This record gives sequence, structure tokens and C-alpha cells, in this order.
Amino acid sequence: MHNRQALNRAVVSACLLLVSLPSMAVDTLPKGLLVLDGREAPPLVLNNLDGERWDISEARGRWLFVHFWASWCGPCRKEMPTIQAIFPKFDASQLEIVLVNTAESEDVVFTFLAEVAPDLTPLVDADGSVTQQWQPRGLPSTFFVDPEGRLQYLGLGGRPWDTTEYLRFLQRLVR
Amino acid sequence: MIKQLVTGTLGSLPILAALFLTPCYAQQAPRPVPSGPWYEDDAVFIRIVQRTPEQLNAFYQGREFNQAAIDQILDTCFVTPIIHNKRFDVLWLELDNWQFSRGAQQIPRIERDYWPAKWEQSGLSQAHRSTFGWTLMPEVRDLRLDESVGGSVVIPRQSRPFTLTMNFHSGADKQGPLKTIVFKDLECIIDKP
Repeated sequence: MHNRQALNRAVVSACLLLVSLPSMAVDTLPKGLLVLDGREAPPLVLNNLDGERWDISEARGRWLFVHFWASWCGPCRKEMPTIQAIFPKFDASQLEIVLVNTAESEDVVFTFLAEVAPDLTPLVDADGSVTQQWQPRGLPSTFFVDPEGRLQYLGLGGRPWDTTEYLRFLQRLVR
Repeated sequence: MIKQLVTGTLGSLPILAALFLTPCYAQQAPRPVPSGPWYEDDAVFIRIVQRTPEQLNAFYQGREFNQAAIDQILDTCFVTPIIHNKRFDVLWLELDNWQFSRGAQQIPRIERDYWPAKWEQSGLSQAHRSTFGWTLMPEVRDLRLDESVGGSVVIPRQSRPFTLTMNFHSGADKQGPLKTIVFKDLECIIDKP
């Protein structure tokens, strides 16, 4: 009898723990990050500033930090140095930072990044059609795509990625 | 400098609102005081940026828009609010719930579908159309806690001051308090000689 009660208690506890796990994960998200529904990420095939093709379908097995931006957007300009700051902290085989410039000329993109984020090589969405397909809530926006190619989180607007709470979040992803 | 009269009300608390919130001048904010009209309370921060035609011209020239397209833009009046949701789980930006007016006269908004024909006329490239689209305020946005949004809302050019009344539903199901912010005496800024 005692054994059965103990077993019941253990089962109930285990169930409660399982139920609470997703909310624990959400509770520990830094400000301004939304949990997405895990749907498959839209296609993303673009050339980078060096003319090299990048295809999201070939990027499975690692987390992707897919960031949409434009140099004319104030919050983008403020945020970009924080992305430059985190770039060397992560192995691209675990977390790849993918910048997508929306509808600007290569000259404009090159000139801007050379000053604020010289280590980053963005993809160029020359006519803005890929950005349109991803439907960010605005510029800037950052999607987190899991190693299976599913959309898991969205960073709302500009975020200070190089601060402790965001770095912890990023480190948790790749752990 | 024009001191801007700004009113904030919570729809479900009209008496309290009448007692404490209307009308009021914008309070001193802890952040640097914006140069244009602004409003802040514990729930939202809103400021309105207005560019002169010269500034708009420079912005779009810098983005390599052709002059014919820029001239189309300069024929109108851009009002650019920046909104930060400080408290609500969801604050609903819905431009259809905003009114531009002068006295009893409503001033219609120039909506997104006005522009494609103008861009055809002026031969604006797809990339520039995309850029322009991102500079406009979204028609609808479920602004989450600590989320900001900014963008231009366009009206026909006005020679006299006007009022912008912003109504926001709150809560994921829009059943929370209705928040109303009124900016009076806004103007379509012109270049100074």
C-alpha cells in the first residue's frame, strides 16, 4: 500500500516536473525574446558580400542566429556592434550568426559594416524579397533556428546581445 | 519650441482618468527628453519624430531613391511615432484605431495601397519599394512587453495644426483597458528659410 502511494507520488511529481519544464525555459528567457511555434524556417538562399552562396537547408546541425537589418534603421545601427562583440565567442559549427541585409546596395552595406562590424559578412537580400518571406516584425529582428531547421525564438527589435543575460541565453542554446 | 499638449486616458477607468490623467502635459521622463512631442506613463512611451522636407529629401537621397519618387513623398506629410510598450503583455497597435483630425474634421490617412501606383509612375526599383515599406508603421502589431515599434504614418500635407488620437487595445484578447493618447497641435513641418 505504502509502495503504491509512494509510486503515485513519484509519478505525479514527475508529471508536474515535465509540465513545468517548458514554462521554466520561458521564464528564463531574457527580455524581448519570444518563443515561436517551432514551424520550419522559410527558405533562405542568398549570396554574401563576397559573392558566396549560403543556403539554410545546408546549415542543419547547428543553431542559427538569423538577423534582418538595414543601415538606415536606428536600432539596427545601435545593435550591430553588440553582434560584432559576440561573433568571436561562438563556434560557427554550434551557433552561426547569419546577417541578412534588407534591400540595400552592396556599397552601402560594405561601408557601414567596415566601420562597426568588420568581422561580419552579411548576406545581401538585394530586392528585399527574402526578408518579406520571413516576415520579421520590423527591422531589426533576430530569429533563432534550431539545428533541425525550426524557428524557436524571435528577438524583438534591437537587443544588447553582448550583455550577460543574452550571452547566458546564447550559451544555453549551444550547451 | 512648441510645448505639446498630450493627453492620456484609460478607457475602462474614465473617472480616474478624468481626475488624474486628462488633460496633462507630458511628465519629465528619466530618459533624455526628446526634442519633439512625446508622452510617457508607466505603460507606454511615445515620441513623435517629424522631419522637414529637406530632411526627408536627404534621407531618401542617401538611400539612392530617384528624385521623382522623393517628390512623391514630399507631396505628403510624414508623422513618425515611436512607441514602447512598457507594461502590457500585449498592446495593440492598429492604425485603423487612430484618428487624425482638426476640430470635427477627420483627416484621412494615406494608406499603403496609395504608393505602388506612385512608384510605377516614378520608376522606383523593387529594392527601394521594399525599403520604403519598412519605413512605414505596420498597420497592425501586437506589441509585446518591452517591444518598441516605429514608423511613418502618412497624411495629406496640412497647412494648419492637427490632432492625432491614438487608441490602443490591451491584452492578448484585447479585453484589457483601452488606452488613448492624444497629441494636439501637431504640424506638417516645413523647411525654415
